[in-house]
Order: sequence, then C-alpha cells, then structure tokens
Amino acid sequence: MEEKIITKSNLLMICKDLIDRGHVVLAPGVTEYKAVRDVSEINLDPSALPTKASYKNFVFPKTEPVLYYKRSKSDVSLIDVNVDMKDTVILGAKPCDANSTEIMKDLFNWDYQDEFYNARAGHFIVIGMMCTSFDEYCFCTSVGSSPCSESGSDIFLIPLDEKTFAVRILTDKGKDFISPYSSCLEVGNPARSEEAAKRVEYPEKAFDCKAVHEWLGRNFENRKWDNIGNVCLSCAQCAFVCPVCHCFDIVDEDYSYSEGRRMKNWDGCQFGHFTLHASGHNPRDIQSKRYRQRVNHKFRYYVDRFGKILCTGCGRCSRGCPVSIDIKEIVANCKD
Amino acid sequence: MEELRRYAKELLVSGEVAAVIGYMQVSETRTKPVIIIDPTDTSLLVLNEYCLNNLTVYLTRARIKALAREKDKVKKLAVVVKPCDERSIVALIQENQIRRDELVIISFNCHGVVRDFGCSFVPDTLAAKCSVCTSAAPQYSDKIFGEVKEIPGTDDKQLMKIDETGNKSAAERFEFFSKEFDKCIKCYACRAVCPLCYCQRCITDKTIPRWIESSSHSRGNFSWNIVRAFHLSGRCTGCGECDRACPMDIPLSLINRKMAQASKDLFGYESGKSLEKATLVGSFDKKDSDEIFM
Repeated sequence: MEEKIITKSNLLMICKDLIDRGHVVLAPGVTEYKAVRDVSEINLDPSALPTKASYKNFVFPKTEPVLYYKRSKSDVSLIDVNVDMKDTVILGAKPCDANSTEIMKDLFNWDYQDEFYNARAGHFIVIGMMCTSFDEYCFCTSVGSSPCSESGSDIFLIPLDEKTFAVRILTDKGKDFISPYSSCLEVGNPARSEEAAKRVEYPEKAFDCKAVHEWLGRNFENRKWDNIGNVCLSCAQCAFVCPVCHCFDIVDEDYSYSEGRRMKNWDGCQFGHFTLHASGHNPRDIQSKRYRQRVNHKFRYYVDRFGKILCTGCGRCSRGCPVSIDIKEIVANCKD
Repeated sequence: MEELRRYAKELLVSGEVAAVIGYMQVSETRTKPVIIIDPTDTSLLVLNEYCLNNLTVYLTRARIKALAREKDKVKKLAVVVKPCDERSIVALIQENQIRRDELVIISFNCHGVVRDFGCSFVPDTLAAKCSVCTSAAPQYSDKIFGEVKEIPGTDDKQLMKIDETGNKSAAERFEFFSKEFDKCIKCYACRAVCPLCYCQRCITDKTIPRWIESSSHSRGNFSWNIVRAFHLSGRCTGCGECDRACPMDIPLSLINRKMAQASKDLFGYESGKSLEKATLVGSFDKKDSDEIFM
C-alpha cells in the first residue's frame, strides 16, 4: 500500500480529465450515485448519509437484454449481446458500498460465470472514502466492516481537512489508474491519516453475526417471524436499494411474432409471487416466511455458501422502508 | 396520549376488537405502524406530527382480516387514522372492501404532519398535502382525540408544480415524465403503501398474457405508472403515501393529484369525502360531462 496526498482541486481536475476522455465518473447525490457531467456537480461530503439507492444498477442493471431472438416458422436464431461498458470510476464510494461488488461476485461466478456482471465489474475503479457520520440505521460495524474499511476500494480517500485528502493506493488496478496523474500527488503522511481515521466515531455493534447465524439455524419456526409478517407490506424497496441483493427474473419480450429479446430484471423475495410455482403452489405463501427468507439469506445461507455476510450494514433498507422495519433491530433480536 | 392508550386497551380487553392498528414511536422524529393484539402493548401507542403512515392499507390485507376472524364470529378491527386517512376508509367501504360495522375508527384533530421522517415539525417541513388540507376534522370516527389546532399555513409547492407541469406543452410534459419514470426501479412500494391498491392480483403481476412489461425500461415504467394513475383516477384520496414511499423520489402525487383535480372539475367528485355518495366510477348521471371522451 502506498500513501499520497491530493488536494481537492487536483482530484476534481483528474475527474474532469476522465470525463473528457469518455470515462464514466459516478458520484453520490441524494437519491442515487449519478454519472457526473460536470465536476461542479461533485459533492464529496464524508459526513453525508448513504444515498437512497446504491450503485448496484451500474454493475447489475435493473433491466438488461441478455439475448435477442428471431423466429421464423421453422427456426429460431439467437443474437448475443456484448456488454459495451466504459471504464467507470466510482468517486467517494462509502465503505458500505465499496465492498458490495466483491460480495456479489461470488454469487455471479458460482456455478455459472455471469459475463454481464463480470464485464461491468471489471471496468470499475472504486475510489472509496472514509465515512465520518452515521445515523440510527447504520450498522457496518456489526457485519465486519467499519467507516474506515478499505475493503473493495482500489483507492481510498481519507479527508485530512476541507481541501486535502490522503490517498491510499490499495490495488494494482488503483496503481495503474493513478499513475498517469502522479504529478497531482504529493508525498503522503500516514501518521496524519491515521490520526484522522482515529477521530472517526463508529456506530455501536448491534449484534454478533456468528451468534445470529447459529440462532437462525435453530429458529426456522419462531413466533418472531409472524409479528414482522403482519407489518411488512411486501414491496421490494429493501431489496432494490440494497447494494448486495441480487435476485433477478428472466422474461421474454416479444416485439412481434418474429422477433424479441430476453431480459434480466431485478426481482425481490418479498413479492408474493416471487416463489409462486406454475402449479399454483407457493412455498413462501405468507409474508412472515418471506421476511424470514430475507434474514436467513443474508445472515445464514450466503455465509454457508460463500463465507460472506450478504449485508454491508448501510441501513438503506431500513431508512427507506415505508413501514419503518429496521433490519438491524430484527437481526439484533435474533436471539433467545 | 394516555386517553388513547386507555381507550385502545379497553377495546382489546373487552374483546370488542381483535387488534388495534396504530403508531408507535421509534425515534424523536419517526413512528412506525404497530399491530397490537396484546392489551399491555397499547402503552406503545402514540399520536403526533410524525404519524405519517396511512394505516388503512392494512385493513384489506388477508392476514390482518384473518386476525379478526374467530371460529364462528368476526371481531372488529380498530385503526388509528389521521383525518385524511379516514377518507381512504370511506373509499374502501364504498368499494365494498371493508364494512363499517366491523371497524372501530380512532382519529384525532390533526394539525398537519411532517413531509418525511427525520424532519422536525416546523412550517417549512409540513407535508405538501397538509397545506391544502380540507379534511382536518374527522367525520366518521368513533372516537376523536386531541384539541383542534390550526395547520401552520405554507404555500402548496406541489400544487404550483401541478399547474406548472400542466401548462407545459405535451412534448415538454412527456419529456418531464420520461425523465422521472426512468428512475423507477419497479419495487412497487407505491402499490404496497396505497390503501386503494388492494387488488389481490395486480395487473402488473399477470403473465398470461403480460399486460405490463416487468422490465424497468422506459416503456415498462411508463406502462406501470400510467396504468396505476388510470386505476386510481377518481379513487385516490391524496394521502401522498406513494410519494413518500418511492425510494427514487419520483413525484407520483403530481399525477394522482392531477387526476383528482380533473375528477373534481369535471364531475364535482372528491374521493373519500362522503359515505352517502356512490363512487365516481360506479355511478352514472346523464348530466355527466363528456368532455373527456376521445
């Protein structure tokens, strides 16, 4: 790891150069991460809460064609889709967003290599930034992360004062990315950035993932699920704003009898018809079973399968839940 | 507050109601829905400027209705509502989704709520719907709490926005809504929170044939949002929950309020205002305006 110092104006100058050269620069706004057209739109505020939606859409789009088809009376021909992804720089990613692509990568390369996901993720340069505030819904510390976590970032920024950042160059990708701009960087002072990181307050740890994992294994049937099921309204806000929820549905869209395309669309496990079988049987027919699935998938099944927790602790699902269901509170309550 | 809790407790203890649907405080500026079955939990109930949810959405849910059903008799459900949410109840009764005699409606004299959780209650943070509120006093409630207080007046920025949007050319309007709908991720939170979106199987979930494309590209998003607006025309009571629930900040009530305005202007009909009137869609008068027919 190398550490440098950069001024805010130099950082913005790099962004301008990237945009001029046709790269995509994503920066957090209020609702979502947005592709920046002009560097004046960039607001690098380490104390901002996470955007309402994560940047998942840029690596795993809410809807995308996976193939086109043509159909005649006797034949069907398929036309492949090539992902044409530009190099994409995510500037100022929250630590609770930066590690999301790494978490989802395992799923998208499990039994089948999802070329769409890999092509997009391969074009990402993640410039994470230390986070200096939290609210009652943040719980990154409970899922093994922290406001200073560098996990998933190629480059990590630590605000030293209003105008300067410490730049930690963490990966080869990050090194290759920043090397053309070495003249913008000054010699780093790790003592100073350590000092800044030490001043950051962490959200209190709300639960122990190991204990939750163990409890979930014993409590598939528990009255606690029923109570949540009564209040939850079965939308997919939680899944769709989540940086790591990755379920999708495949649907064919016919333009006409002779042609159409196959789409891969986000899907959410809280929808009643998510597990509805063609026979009419629905193994998760009531909301309590669906919410139980959500918690189990994140804190038990994914851990068993890939050794990772399917949650970054960003708190988006709770902050945005129309009926204020707080996942932190629910998981913390997963105990006898 | 104590009166409310006592009243709710009595309802549960006497066995008159099976459950009380109300609000509980989660932080200084946030409440959440709570469905109370155990009388001791009534101590959680609150009524204040942070009671944003329209709890009538629960009244048509099968699992909530099931709470009220015992072997051979049906108990009542008690629901805490803001006066504006009471309008949803009226609409639901008119549409035969719930029965008045199976409900205990608990309301209060409202003086406005905040536009979103996390805001403190000051005039600037008043919800848009409150600044044009015409239903601050409950009409059909069994029990009313609180003193009558005035709603702090502000400009209705949303209403101005409706006019502004309405005055645009068709092409400009199309561009405006294309941009807004592009943000839609089809989480259907708007549908989930809407008391009048009670269809057991929504048209957008039907697949044989598929009427509404499930993809959230422009065409799919347009079809969904416009179909929803059509289905709520003359029915939407303007509770604004869809606006609040949308994670992508799409101004959905711009559309619904425009439709409500049209049904008022054309037919003099305001949804959820009177139990005595028939619904707009369910009634016909020879004198009805035919301006809207193409």
